Amino acid sequence: MEVEVDEKDLKSARAELLKDGRRGLRIRGWEIESLKRSILNSSALQQWEQSLQTSHLPEMIFGESCLVLKHVSSGTKIHFNAFDALAGWKQEGLPPVEVPAAAKWKFRSKPLQQVILDYDYTFTTPYCGSEMVELDSDKHGSKEISGGSLGFHWEDCEEKLDVAALTLKEPILFYDEVVLYEDELADNGVSLLTVKVRVMPSSWFLLLRFWLRVDGVLMRLRDTRMHCVFDESANPVILRERCWREGTFQALSAKGYPTDSASYSDPSIISQRLPVIMHQTQKLVVPGNL
Amino acid sequence: MSDLDRQIEQLKKCEPLKESEVKALCLKAMEILVEESNVQRVDAPVTICGDIHGQFYDMKELFKVGGDCPKTNYLFLGDFVDRGFYSVETFLLLLALKVRYPDRITLIRGNHESRQITQVYGFYDECLRKYGSVNVWRYCTDIFDYLSLSALIENKIFSVHGGLSPAISTLDQIRTIDRKQEVPHDGAMCDLLWSDPEDIVDGWGLSPRGAGFLFGGSVVTSFNHTNNIDYICRAHQLVMEGYKWMFNNQIVTVWSAPNYCYRCGNVAAILELDENLNKQFRVFDAAPQESRGTPAKKPAPDYFL
Repeated sequence: MEVEVDEKDLKSARAELLKDGRRGLRIRGWEIESLKRSILNSSALQQWEQSLQTSHLPEMIFGESCLVLKHVSSGTKIHFNAFDALAGWKQEGLPPVEVPAAAKWKFRSKPLQQVILDYDYTFTTPYCGSEMVELDSDKHGSKEISGGSLGFHWEDCEEKLDVAALTLKEPILFYDEVVLYEDELADNGVSLLTVKVRVMPSSWFLLLRFWLRVDGVLMRLRDTRMHCVFDESANPVILRERCWREGTFQALSAKGYPTDSASYSDPSIISQRLPVIMHQTQKLVVPGNL
Repeated sequence: MSDLDRQIEQLKKCEPLKESEVKALCLKAMEILVEESNVQRVDAPVTICGDIHGQFYDMKELFKVGGDCPKTNYLFLGDFVDRGFYSVETFLLLLALKVRYPDRITLIRGNHESRQITQVYGFYDECLRKYGSVNVWRYCTDIFDYLSLSALIENKIFSVHGGLSPAISTLDQIRTIDRKQEVPHDGAMCDLLWSDPEDIVDGWGLSPRGAGFLFGGSVVTSFNHTNNIDYICRAHQLVMEGYKWMFNNQIVTVWSAPNYCYRCGNVAAILELDENLNKQFRVFDAAPQESRGTPAKKPAPDYFL
């Protein structure tokens, strides 16, 4: 899935691609890398079930895939992985959504012993990335400290994502999309968590997207965008915008939109039809003297 | 060489048939399938295959590993179409083989062999794209209604796409279903194509979706005992290792789409049974990229916002 990158563009942007088969690049004090691996095998899946204390996980978990963006001098590391996202799903614990056929099923004769499972099979997650500080100077050895414990946090801000700058067709030096997990909801729709990144000479930009469509019932889009303009300051300035949209097929039908699932296969095309239910813009605050 | 043999050769090259040929093939297939029982009898030796999902080049790998039809007898457990790029060629090749060698290959219905599901998950769009009309989709989905619901190998191994139903305790109850219809949203026929075994229930479970049965170990034990069968062989669920036994070897899931959706990195499996019903799983990988005809496209950088 690599994209051909012009050597000249890389050079003039003072960037170099990672070597030894790694996917990613170093640019202006950042190291950005994506890892794409197979879905978890049965034994790994069992371990995840234990650690997450659940017996139900998405059928396709790309558990070793991730996207990592590291600001080398400050140790600030932003990363995206399925485990943290599923921990978020488990914690949010939304009630299950009934599919249209459920109405008919209520009238079916019930088997003698029947257990009704009630976990959130849509794997909806509030996940918006993980951050930590990775100190690997001689003094500290190499160790990772999760962001929160260092007073590393996201603070609401007035700034907005600079859409104008992002629409400029600067050359893309690195581009990738990493699927973190996916479930077909037993052919009742789709639940998909992916992260896309593009790195340009002046900034990096990413979109983490949770996309859910329960056929005939509802759609949910939970987007997290992050933008970081390269500068030479000690701590990077990272802007994060979270936008959640949600709408039912019923509401779409009332507005005169089509309601067949096939019209809703690509969330980027139809996102505007779904009302925004949450929106916030935040800035990463990295305390000095780490 | 007969027309049919020529069509099979053409389909083996992943070249679709003309619309008129598809229509004629479907008519012939209908005559054969209409005679089959809802619990189609199958003799050993036979090789059992799970979901294919339009992954044509991976199905060619399957035939490389398992041997060509009719040298090897095959039982396919449904889900021939949707999700992959070549549902048309995949289903038509299997159907042409069925018409050419009716006693050597058995095709049973999966939950994707349905008008409703194929309109959402790819087969409908693929037919429209490749033929410019939905006629081929119509011919194929009409044939889906004639596919058998299950198979019984030497009276000892029960095979079905999804699983069991609380409305079914004997094979005779399956035999009485009127199957020539679109897959219903509930009832025994729906359950056979849709249900899943589930570790955390012992009896029956209802999916959190409010529709869809899950069945536990004791349900399988009693079904196998009542019908005097050794085990159940089903497909329907992705298994990273290609196959998976559950409930003390009373049921096995076989999955035959390697690197599912061209990105999961899983292996696939088929189950070979010899004339004495001795089992051998054959595990295989996805077809190498260079044998897929078209090279993998590198996506253009996407100025997403």
